[in-house]
Amino acid sequence: MSRKILWSVVALIYAFMLAPILITAAVSFNAVERSYFPPRGFSLHWWSMAMTPQWTGPFLFSLKLAALSAVATAVLGLPLALALRWPSFRGRGTLQALTLGPLVLPSLVTGIALLQFLTLAGVGNWIGLPALVIGHVVICLPFMVRTLSISLDSIPINAEIAAASLGASRLRVLIEVTLPLARSGGGAGMIFAFISSFDDVNLALFVARPGQTPLTVQIMQFLEYGFSPTLAALSIISLLVPLALVALFGRLVGIGNFIYQDHGHA
Amino acid sequence: MPEAALELRGLTKHFGASVTVGPIDLIVRQGEFVTLLGPSGCGKTTTLNMIGGFVTPDAGGIHLAGSPVETLPPWRRDLGIVFQDYALFPHRTVAENIGFGLRMRRVGRAEIARRVYEAMQLVRLDGLGDRRPGQLSGGQRQRVALARALVIRPSLLLLDEPLSNLDLKLREEMRIEISTLQRRLGIAALFVTHDQEEALTMSDRIAVMRGGRIEQLGSAREIYEAPASAFVAGFIGSTNLIRGSVIAPRQPGGTVRVDTGAGPAMIPIVGDLPDGGAVLLMIRPERLKLASPGAAPEGTNAWSAQVVRTIYLGGRMEVRLRLRDGGTAIAYAVNEGETDWDEGEMVDAWFRPRDAWVIPGPAEDSDAQATNCLR
Amino acid sequence: MKPQGSAYLLAAFPAAFLLLFFALPILLLLSTSMLKSEDMVPIAQLTTANFSTLLTKKLYVDAILRTIGIGVAVGALVVVLGYPVAYTLVRTQSRWQPVLVALALSPLLASVIVRTYGWWVLLNHDGPINNFLLAMGVISAPLRMLPSTAVIIVGLAHALLPYGVLTIMAALNGVNPNLERAAMSLGAGRVRTFVSVTLPLTASGVIGGFLLAFGVAIGAYATPAILGGPGTQTMATLIYSFMMTLLDWSLGSAMGVILLASSFVVLALIMLAGRRSES
Ligand SMILES: Nc1ncnc2c1ncn2[C@@H]1O[C@H](COP(=O)(O)OP(=O)(O)OP(=O)(O)O)[C@@H](O)[C@H]1O
Ligand SMILES: [Mg+2]
Repeated sequence: MSRKILWSVVALIYAFMLAPILITAAVSFNAVERSYFPPRGFSLHWWSMAMTPQWTGPFLFSLKLAALSAVATAVLGLPLALALRWPSFRGRGTLQALTLGPLVLPSLVTGIALLQFLTLAGVGNWIGLPALVIGHVVICLPFMVRTLSISLDSIPINAEIAAASLGASRLRVLIEVTLPLARSGGGAGMIFAFISSFDDVNLALFVARPGQTPLTVQIMQFLEYGFSPTLAALSIISLLVPLALVALFGRLVGIGNFIYQDHGHA
Repeated sequence: MPEAALELRGLTKHFGASVTVGPIDLIVRQGEFVTLLGPSGCGKTTTLNMIGGFVTPDAGGIHLAGSPVETLPPWRRDLGIVFQDYALFPHRTVAENIGFGLRMRRVGRAEIARRVYEAMQLVRLDGLGDRRPGQLSGGQRQRVALARALVIRPSLLLLDEPLSNLDLKLREEMRIEISTLQRRLGIAALFVTHDQEEALTMSDRIAVMRGGRIEQLGSAREIYEAPASAFVAGFIGSTNLIRGSVIAPRQPGGTVRVDTGAGPAMIPIVGDLPDGGAVLLMIRPERLKLASPGAAPEGTNAWSAQVVRTIYLGGRMEVRLRLRDGGTAIAYAVNEGETDWDEGEMVDAWFRPRDAWVIPGPAEDSDAQATNCLR
Repeated sequence: MKPQGSAYLLAAFPAAFLLLFFALPILLLLSTSMLKSEDMVPIAQLTTANFSTLLTKKLYVDAILRTIGIGVAVGALVVVLGYPVAYTLVRTQSRWQPVLVALALSPLLASVIVRTYGWWVLLNHDGPINNFLLAMGVISAPLRMLPSTAVIIVGLAHALLPYGVLTIMAALNGVNPNLERAAMSLGAGRVRTFVSVTLPLTASGVIGGFLLAFGVAIGAYATPAILGGPGTQTMATLIYSFMMTLLDWSLGSAMGVILLASSFVVLALIMLAGRRSES
């Protein structure tokens, strides 16, 4: 009996979670210029509107930004994760705090800080793609280091010492033992960084510029003039990108292994 | 006659298409200590979980003290359960853990305090009431779990491998302690283990389980001396298993002749044995004696064998023999300080007719059992 | 080279990056929040005027309090709604369990905008809820559900629910199911078992989920911007207008500092409460 009640409650919560997304999808097929639900008539008009350069530009820009952010996060995250594996050295605590710092700050605050810094440092022309990549790397580094550390911790540092004692040079150890271990964590971290960058609004709001605006910010700006079913179509398109990414690569890197460990800091 | 403490009738649970636990029929009498003994995965925990109400059986009935409980939720079954991992509430003190069941039964505060104190004395935990489970040793945790289950005076105590997380010495102590307590309080108990020694030392009766069913149920002596199958024989103690065939089923004097590769043997008739039927002859190593060639006593079965190895084990010697057909057998010789068997020496291995018995076979897994017997 | 030498070598570049693009900008933000601003650019003149404006003008104080209220409500909703889902997902034997987990977490893949837009469609003056109620004759004119603080709370709770499910699932996974069985065998019914065993042992997950949702909610821009209006400003929407519309960076920075401080204060309060209940 009580089990039935629990399941009904859970079913309602699932409906609550999924309904808005399904409604958004449905609305995009409206035949009229209103966000009706259930949709009136059926048309692909709003989907073709979503395919015009006004929107494909920001969409492609978002893809480029997300890819660059993911790669840059991995490039910076790997040495950081490797360094933090040393059990103790002077400044380890500081390094750790520096790495995890962006987690506790709202990304919006990181965004306004970056905007001011770049402007006052005289590199205001970095606002746009470079600033966006920098900001997204700062936000995503903690996750990258975490997922990498989880993978790297699956083998004790002794295994590397053992490899070294067997005559492998430092570089060989890194290439033959350490990096293969880091692959799944790095992959999960990159997927995470890609999606975070692709979906980010809070930071991008402040460091985008006309012509270098991600899709999310473009939508927010468009919203100031009202809603249109085009936005529904765009929302669904932008949902498909992370979905496809996880479907394609999620299993490959075993993203499930990182789900629980990641939870604390999204 | 009073009602049985527990009665299981055709209790069955299916897991998917391939795994089935049961049907299980079992009676635990008032005050009796019954053990479910079997290898990992044979369904012991599942059986306890069905009794406890945590797993819903697909078929069969469960009666506690005469009344059916299949439809009762766990909290109405009045059972004391000791879990393998103790399952002590980590956020509560020892005294709170022990008193939990009494609190649920709305017993008064003073009464709870008194009974918790008594229970702690009973399991020798005096003075530890304010500790948290995390601050106790393994043996102490075990005792808390036991006290928590006993203090509610359950109609039946269920124990799922409660000793498997303790080291050997503590385990041996707790065996005695648990069965003494159980006897003193007169609470019927169903105990689960895969340790044969535990089963032998603690139980009034043992149910040997295999593949989800009870293969044999009987006292320790019955199970050891007359195992119903090669599996039971191999699981409890060590056994020499020798393939043979029945030659003359009805000999005068109530005996039957069995021919084996190692030699013929006369043994008492047990059940129906077809002429020429394949059987497994079983002899416990301590019942297989050694003598110089030709010196075996009259009226016994004697086979000539060669000593392959002797292993000194203190109180006894383990002697490994090669039989005439090349098969291996083991004999335990009491170390009386006199005879010594040299490796390579020819001997007579002999046994009294009543010290051997046969079962139909050879079981398809008799080779596995034959290695099993060398444990 | 001493082994730790290589740690320094490895960390040098990323550490420099974080110092330059994270630590330094945050320090700058802290200092501009205490500088006077002239024509958008802060000038070298110390002042507490930014903070006193923000902390005394009713409009701003309301926004700050509203934001914190939203954060608390969202955190509570996320935990309350996330718990039953997490519990079911962890305890179920159903073979659909992995699918249900994926379904519960899939909203995380969508941008907050996608997750919020559906609510706008559902609740706007000519959305399905209003149309349904009108058709049924329950109301005679459309309800004005937008913009409102309540809807912002619902939208954010919806967007952040998967985080609650995740943290509580992690906590539940750490609870030995035999503990619940032990409680039941000792006579505790389902509710008592939950209240006296499961809930206390998953308190960390509940608090973690609350904090996470609170922290993200008070710093969220998109949802209050879409579902709110001029009367429902939050710290995030104010920061946006200070920085991008009014171009008063000092005021924006000060509000950013207040936003930061709010999340730290709540964090500290909860940690304090946790420590007290432990001793
Ligand atoms: N919830 C379940 N779903 C599927 N199969 C199960 C489940 N519980 C038990 N089984 C299967 O039922 C069989 C019996 O399991 P059970 O836990 O009862 O064994 P056991 O005798 O207690 O073993 P052990 O000595 O290892 O504790 C095993 O094959 C097990 O895999
Ligand atoms: Mg078991």
